[in-house]
Amino acid sequence: MAPPNPDAEAHQQLIDKLDIHALRKPFRNPHWRPNQRRNKNIKAIIGDAVRKEASLMPTQDNSGAATPLVDDSIVSTDGDNTPLSTADSVMQPNLAQASRNLSKLVLEKNLRSNGMSMAPNATYTNIESAPSLAHPRHYCDITGLPAPYTDPKTRLRYHNKEIFGVIRTLGQGVAEQYLEARGAHTVLK
Amino acid sequence: MAPSATEPTSTQATESQNTLPPPHLYLPRETHFEKYLESQPDGYRKAVSQLSGNTAIVIDNGSSTTRAGWSFEESPRLNIAPIFSRYRDRKLGKTYSFVGADVYSDTNARGHMRNAFEAASGIVSNWDVMESILDYVFLKLGIDGANGSVDMPIVMTEAVANLPYSRKSMTEIIFECYSAPSLAYGIDSLFSYDYNNGKTGLVVSSSHSSTHLIPVLNSKAILSQATRLNWGGSQSAEYLLKLIRLKYPTFPGKLNSSQMEYALQDHCYLSKDYDLELSTYLDWTGLEDRDHIIQYPYTEEVVVQKSEEELARIAEKRKESGRRLQEQAAKARLEKLIRKEQELDYYRDLQRKIANESKKEVKRLLDSEDMKDEAALERTIKELDKSIRKARTKDVGGEVEEEVEEPDFSLLEVPDDQLDEAGLKQKRHQRLMKSNHEARARAKAEKEREKARVAEEKRIDEEKRENDLEGWLQERRNARAELVQKMKDRERLKADLGNRKSLASQIRMKSIANLASDTPTKKRRRGGDDDNFGANDDDWGVYRQIAVGEGSDDDEEEDFSANLKALEADLLKYDPEFTDQHTLDAQTDWTKSLVHAFLRGPRPFDHTSQQEAHQIHLNVERIRVPEVIFQPSIAGLDQAGIVEIAADILTQRLPGSGVPHEAFLQDIFLTGGNVLFQNFDERLREGLRACLPAGAPLVTRRAKDPVLDAWKGAARWAGGSAWRSAAVSREEYLEKGGEYLKEHDLGNAYS
Repeated sequence: MAPPNPDAEAHQQLIDKLDIHALRKPFRNPHWRPNQRRNKNIKAIIGDAVRKEASLMPTQDNSGAATPLVDDSIVSTDGDNTPLSTADSVMQPNLAQASRNLSKLVLEKNLRSNGMSMAPNATYTNIESAPSLAHPRHYCDITGLPAPYTDPKTRLRYHNKEIFGVIRTLGQGVAEQYLEARGAHTVLK
Repeated sequence: MAPSATEPTSTQATESQNTLPPPHLYLPRETHFEKYLESQPDGYRKAVSQLSGNTAIVIDNGSSTTRAGWSFEESPRLNIAPIFSRYRDRKLGKTYSFVGADVYSDTNARGHMRNAFEAASGIVSNWDVMESILDYVFLKLGIDGANGSVDMPIVMTEAVANLPYSRKSMTEIIFECYSAPSLAYGIDSLFSYDYNNGKTGLVVSSSHSSTHLIPVLNSKAILSQATRLNWGGSQSAEYLLKLIRLKYPTFPGKLNSSQMEYALQDHCYLSKDYDLELSTYLDWTGLEDRDHIIQYPYTEEVVVQKSEEELARIAEKRKESGRRLQEQAAKARLEKLIRKEQELDYYRDLQRKIANESKKEVKRLLDSEDMKDEAALERTIKELDKSIRKARTKDVGGEVEEEVEEPDFSLLEVPDDQLDEAGLKQKRHQRLMKSNHEARARAKAEKEREKARVAEEKRIDEEKRENDLEGWLQERRNARAELVQKMKDRERLKADLGNRKSLASQIRMKSIANLASDTPTKKRRRGGDDDNFGANDDDWGVYRQIAVGEGSDDDEEEDFSANLKALEADLLKYDPEFTDQHTLDAQTDWTKSLVHAFLRGPRPFDHTSQQEAHQIHLNVERIRVPEVIFQPSIAGLDQAGIVEIAADILTQRLPGSGVPHEAFLQDIFLTGGNVLFQNFDERLREGLRACLPAGAPLVTRRAKDPVLDAWKGAARWAGGSAWRSAAVSREEYLEKGGEYLKEHDLGNAYS
């Protein structure tokens, strides 16, 4: 064992003091057991949401008729309006219908309330800004100065011939890193 | 990359070097552990003593900082980074958890650091971390949890158009884990707008992870027109880090994004006219003001500096030992001389003795001295005499005059049959001597001729110069250009050889393989048996070609530069158009180099200095990085810049949906930490003005405190009636589920 070092001891004391793991947290519910797989990234969350929506879609919209509130529980192909044929088939769609109708009701209420009936609801994905319509200016990849030229070999933009000399002496892969800073690198899949 | 800057040659350089003041060095800042934060139970006691239902815990759950405090206070009590670290110390058998800046207190903890938010977004993705941060918040706010819960209403901010899953998870944690009585969500930038008494306007919120533009009409956000640009402070910091790493690929210091965040705050600003300012940014004039130097810590290499005295002592010592050696040599020489003189005397005596002796006696005497005959004795005496004289003159320091005496070639004319054996030998010796003598004379004549030839050449050259100066100069110029080209080619070849895949390298590998092979390919193709390698002198050049690395062609390079110097000296002397500025040295001088200005600023760079190796020069980056929010294409982000988005909202989307847009123009409101850049509001105003009808009333304003106003707004809102109607109580949660949300003016819509 190493001899006790005053610095190390002080540090140990400090981190013991800072540690919150050992502290009692009486305000927490001791029975709280979160879902083990609750950590999802945005891509996974959106993917799940899209899948969920897709599973709702056919029951809601495949009729194509303008009467979504009435007909969509009927997925049978026989064509006659006798949805309450068996008790079994009543229970299942009714649950789905209830939840679906709630979300739909909220949606419709929103559409009415904000006065812009055509505007879709704001979601994380659809509020993202669209690509620019402006003509992008070209800047030197090395220095950031205005760049009138492009090197056909590395595809780097450059300011003048001195920078061109630098580009031609770049090591392997460095040009690609410069392109990556501008998001113009080649992505191999 | 940078040309040698150790010896600035041009006058401009030396001048500016003298006039430039010593640079101002900035130190890098980064987040670090400061001190232990005490739990503050006084706020909780005050909250409990107040009327229940009027106070709440307000948490601004931002991706850069989690700010938490009491709704009845002016400012948040806690400002903690949303980071968390948990690790198990195996030696002590103990698990440690740290939150916020405490993570930086220990290297082990730093290694296990995790962020609650998904990188570069305002969405929580790690709920274990989020829970720990909330634990920390409630601990430090002094919640005693007497009844096993956080018995205070909670107001929390969330991202614009937060994902339903994220909101549901947060709601679950608040109600299930902490059993809070009620919870209300709102959007941070709208709280900030409300706090600054905004009613109708366009909220531009540029924060740590993203930038949002939200039109607000009569205090109600029109979320369907909200737009997000995926660029904020954290992306800027990452971008700057990327640029610096590319700029200084071999930087010895440690770079991280936290330092870059501080560098953004301290050194970067938005240019009022980006293209104009950019085009002259690296110009020589005023570069010392635009170029900011960040000095990273370094250890100076200790060069043992010897004092004057020590140096003198060492020189003295060296001289002393030299003198001693000289003395010894002189002594040895003297001894040798004396011995030789004695020998000479002895032989002279012998000669005298021989003169009057009989032939037999002479023979005996000579034999005892190992000599053949009198001639040999004579020769010995002569030689001794000569060497003594030589040594003497050398001792006194005089010139040794080599007496060139025409050797005796008399016997060569005599036919062999007239000579006896000794004569024949002598003749052979004389023949040898003669050819020797003649060869020496020939070499001498050759030398003379060469000298004459050079002189003649010089004369012709001079004549030519006098008669046809222009032609002569042109010749020089061409020669110089050729030489410069040759040097460049050599450099390129060298660079190419560094790359394994280049043509030059491949040719080199081929020649090596060919040389090593027993059956070179070329020979077989030609069909000859002998490859006659070496018949042509140029064949040996192949060994020069394949040699790479240090010292492979130093001598040749040396040659090139010497030749170039001579040519340039001639041109300088006689060509009126060729000035100091035209020499290669001056042209590759660092004062001419844009790359030098970019990398090392306006001062010379010393390769050996550790201090300068640990410096980062921020120049173009100071405006290049903040500019991304106006031109996202700079950083490869395929989205419109904020001016374009704002103009689109104001001139297309709002009028299109029937909302009068003039009112919005009156109040363009800036909030969020990323709008703190100098000139942000001015830049946005000028950019927008260009997109709006002439004379349109346009007012931009900044939040009083762009960073804290979101929390303050939420705290103010938490006391009022709007809050009471927007908060979801625990009972409502239990009845209606985790996705249940009450919409209000400052919050997200249910989706």
